[in-house]
Amino acid sequence: AGLESLENFVRSAHSGSADFTQVVTAPAREGQQARSKTSSGTFEFQRPNRFRFHYQKPFEQVIVADGQTLWLHDLDLNQVTARSQSQVLGATPAALVAAAPDLAALRKDFELQEAPQRDGLQWVQATPRARDGQLRSVLVGFRGKELAALEILDSFGQRSVMTFTGMQPNVPLPAGTFQFKPPAGADVLRQ
Amino acid sequence: CAAPLRQGAQDGATASSWSGRLALQVQDDARQSFSAAFELRGRPEAGELRLFNPLGGTAGVLTWSPGRAVLETGGQTRQAASLEELVAQATGSPIPVTALFDWLAGIDTPVPGWKADLEQLAQGRIRAQRLAPPPLADLRVVLDR
Repeated sequence: AGLESLENFVRSAHSGSADFTQVVTAPAREGQQARSKTSSGTFEFQRPNRFRFHYQKPFEQVIVADGQTLWLHDLDLNQVTARSQSQVLGATPAALVAAAPDLAALRKDFELQEAPQRDGLQWVQATPRARDGQLRSVLVGFRGKELAALEILDSFGQRSVMTFTGMQPNVPLPAGTFQFKPPAGADVLRQ
Repeated sequence: CAAPLRQGAQDGATASSWSGRLALQVQDDARQSFSAAFELRGRPEAGELRLFNPLGGTAGVLTWSPGRAVLETGGQTRQAASLEELVAQATGSPIPVTALFDWLAGIDTPVPGWKADLEQLAQGRIRAQRLAPPPLADLRVVLDR
């Protein structure tokens, strides 16, 4: 079920937009309750390699992949970081959802396995082939054909659960959704 | 006068913890410049600094205690005799982490070559510039509220 939903999503959702909520939970430490932080915003993507995360709460941050460059704009710090997508994207959760044109392409960076149904969703477990990365595994959750959740476990045991609501596949997106122009006065770091 | 209260959640006699985002910009040297979300806990003598990448994954964990400092990133572990040495090695740039504890607590501890601006600490903002030795470095911290 999960793999079938992922294959269907990757093949049929050429673009999409949704709201997201992300809860990041640090690994519990001896004698301390695991602490988590919640943020939310909007997400858009367009295959093969464009996406945009616009964090609105608790602080504003924009992440745009325009096809060549991955831009990160932290409005409080008034700083823009620009990295070439080829350097950073490969085996990242965003690539899983928004970049790969088909499962075969995904399988280059991830091992894909069916995972048990849970919380009313069908899941796929994606484990990066590169063992030294920061990512331990990603669970991709579907409600039928609709992408509903990403559960990201990093190599330090930190869990990030991103849930999507109101996911609309293949909707026309305004021109410029995946373009980014650093605002005047912002520091731009090219790395 | 009364010593300023240590801001941030207390989880130990004098240990504290802060979380937010920090950006370091080293003039004409993008390699040394970076920005990351962070969690800083403990004290200058012993503590932990966690750095996160934009989508919430952990980019690295720096832990230190007297005579020992360890940095873990995705695949490797790096050690050094002191926190300062490890931070310089790991980020390639000189973030005065021990002084950061005091700055975050509103104590304007002097650091050779650096000028700290704690005016906006009440709004959760700190800025510090390294004037010497060149190149100019600009550290900005925004605390989560």
